[in-house]
Amino acid sequence: MSKWSCTAAAVLGVLAPGSTLVQPAGAQVPHERILAADSEPESWLTYSGNYASHRFSRLDQVNDGNVADLRVVWAYQMDEGLIETSPIVADGVMYVTEPPSTVTALDARTGKRLWKWTPQMGADVLHIGFPEVNRGVAILDSTVYVGTLDAHLVALDARSGAVRWDVEVADNAIGFSLTLAPLALDGKIIVGVSGAEAGVRGFIDAYDAVTGELVWRTYTIPAPGEFGSDTWGGNSWETGGGSTWLTGSYDPELDLLYWPIGNPAPDWNGDLRPGDNLYTDCLLALDPDTGEIVWWFQFTPHDTHDWDANQIQVLVDAEWEGDPRKLVVTANRNAFYYVLDRETGEFLHGTPYSKQTWAEGLDENGRPIVIPGTDPTEEGNLVWPSLQGAANWFSPSYSPLTRLFYQPTRIMGAIYYKAEVEYEPGQPFMGGGEQALRGEEASGAVKALDVLTGELMWEFPLQSPPWAGVMATAGNLVFGGSEEGNFFALDAGTGEPLWNFQAGAAVRSAPMSFEIDGRQRIVNSAGGTMFVFGLPEGGAR
Amino acid sequence: MRIAKTARLLPFLVLLPAPGAAQEPGEAAIEVADPGRAENLFRAHCGRCHGVQGLGGEGPELARLVLPRVADQGQLERIIRFGIPGTGMPGARSTVLDDDAVSLVAAYVRRMGAQTTADASGVTGDAGRGHELFWAAGDCASCHIVGGRGTAVGPELTRIGLRRGADYLREALSAPAATLPVSRSGARSGFFEYLPVRIVTRDGDIYNGMRMNEDAFTIQLMTVSGAFVSLRKSGIAEMERRFGHSFMPLAQNLGEDDVEDLVAYLTTLGRGS
Repeated sequence: MSKWSCTAAAVLGVLAPGSTLVQPAGAQVPHERILAADSEPESWLTYSGNYASHRFSRLDQVNDGNVADLRVVWAYQMDEGLIETSPIVADGVMYVTEPPSTVTALDARTGKRLWKWTPQMGADVLHIGFPEVNRGVAILDSTVYVGTLDAHLVALDARSGAVRWDVEVADNAIGFSLTLAPLALDGKIIVGVSGAEAGVRGFIDAYDAVTGELVWRTYTIPAPGEFGSDTWGGNSWETGGGSTWLTGSYDPELDLLYWPIGNPAPDWNGDLRPGDNLYTDCLLALDPDTGEIVWWFQFTPHDTHDWDANQIQVLVDAEWEGDPRKLVVTANRNAFYYVLDRETGEFLHGTPYSKQTWAEGLDENGRPIVIPGTDPTEEGNLVWPSLQGAANWFSPSYSPLTRLFYQPTRIMGAIYYKAEVEYEPGQPFMGGGEQALRGEEASGAVKALDVLTGELMWEFPLQSPPWAGVMATAGNLVFGGSEEGNFFALDAGTGEPLWNFQAGAAVRSAPMSFEIDGRQRIVNSAGGTMFVFGLPEGGAR
Repeated sequence: MRIAKTARLLPFLVLLPAPGAAQEPGEAAIEVADPGRAENLFRAHCGRCHGVQGLGGEGPELARLVLPRVADQGQLERIIRFGIPGTGMPGARSTVLDDDAVSLVAAYVRRMGAQTTADASGVTGDAGRGHELFWAAGDCASCHIVGGRGTAVGPELTRIGLRRGADYLREALSAPAATLPVSRSGARSGFFEYLPVRIVTRDGDIYNGMRMNEDAFTIQLMTVSGAFVSLRKSGIAEMERRFGHSFMPLAQNLGEDDVEDLVAYLTTLGRGS
């Protein structure tokens, strides 16, 4: 039990007996608790489990010796739609989102619903280029934050679901949406937007957590005169995309916020936007107080394949060539694994981790050496990876115990097409499309990469390219899911499958873990149902 | 019953050529008011998931004669407008696709399907003789069900004339491994059905069968005798997915005329005649 839980229990004068569980009145999650999330493994306080985005659980009650006994403890059936949410658990309550933008609080012990809040959205909410999904909430103090499909950021009272404030982040009528889990920093809520397929100009926003007031906005596409504006021909910057639709990471020591940026618009017709198109397909390091860009690194200059960089950015401290170094690592949608210095943005290393046919490699600065003739054409051009990428939004995991980076990997090519397109507000602005290879011609794997070299240490093959994240645990396990409906646990050191459960529908979410009543729980969703697993009561722990 | 069935098929019949009809009757039967705009709309709004040629991708293939959820233009328009709950298919809100655009895209999709149907002008055989071959000398019903009769080892052929063209059926008879059906549903989309698989278990048992389903941990087979086999991969020592093979016997004992007669018969199946 963590220091916080001990303190809370002492204040209440209660220690949890078998049949009753008393928690503080409403969650109280000050920023300090999120900073120290690693010391409180019974909770899950931010999207990826900690600010370093490890999606690693330090709980080890469920481990490689007993995971085969895992069984369903409770399940929760959600509103219709795709479940991509990753729950937050604090003080006995689980906060989840249901499609499209509903927030629900559940008793983490029993699965019984405590409250449910559904935004009033018009029937004509736009979501161009993606389904009606939401990936989860943020929590700070006693407030829960959610982004909505109609591009609002809403603050809800954690105890009741009552609205504290509701701000319109951007205009949904021209294609903006929020699908990501917000990131709660000290007194600020950080969000990004979807909408590159509608030709928006992307940005990252910081809001005052108490009042909802906009603290800063940083555009991801520079305006004329700003640094990088010369990487856009003509007025193409105005509709240049660069959406920011996946939760970033945060280093409290360096006080830097790391946010990945999406594709340029239009996606597949690069003729309309000559140049490198900064800061699309970049990782930005930002000052969280001002939004100032401290450094940037571009993975795919002048992207014509829709290879957003909206993958989880994992912060790792390690020895690099003899010296301790603060690193950020990521498996990019373009099929390369990158190691950067997270203080300076310096490129240290990069290597392919999935089949790719578009680049000979990376040069000494990490810029891809592009193979000529790999752009989309009117007739179609077969390139690996497909537009869905070798990776996508679904979470990787990093275990500080094995020092392996676990990446659900898509191995899939596509025939890319280019088409003429003109920008019209609130209309698709893509300039082509793809015909993805599938079935026997595509596959997937959970790959374990050496975190520093990207070298493949083991892989567990999957029938189809996955859309589900993974979570490593201190129990020497990696949990994941498949398109064929399998939940599974692999040996974190060898990839050997140790447990699986057929959930009956595709898995599109990332696992997480928490502890209640002294018992570890493993959570993942498939189809329309969220499942919570644990070891049998009274059995081997 | 007969009337109801006929009524249900009627919308498709409108799209379908009668055997021996002129070229491209499907295309002629469905009017697409503005084909250029329709193609652009389809590429922009549908192509991302369904493929720009309608051949599928994240979403299912649309360039097929029978869309399981669609009986007519109105039904397809409703699906485009409101989506399919519980799937990745979103509704196209009126601010993105107005009524005219929805109608145009629906017609374009239906014409795309019609164009993939049997090139019936390629049918030269005698359907009556094909019928006799199928049910007697060819012994096809020992592996295929038509109209409720036969045995379900291979695909049911009751409506095969609606789903496949003559060229495809001809190839299925002469080179069956080249025409293994491809699944269109859910996570199995794009995978071969009836794929021959040979498995040796750790206990030394040997199974030859057709794959019914498979995931990372299990595989389900049907043997040629119709037995169902469920195996966990942890118990499998060797597994060969036999791409390029089929359990469908080659039509080597049949003459060219026989093949053409069978094709002629099969193209009539499901057309309400």
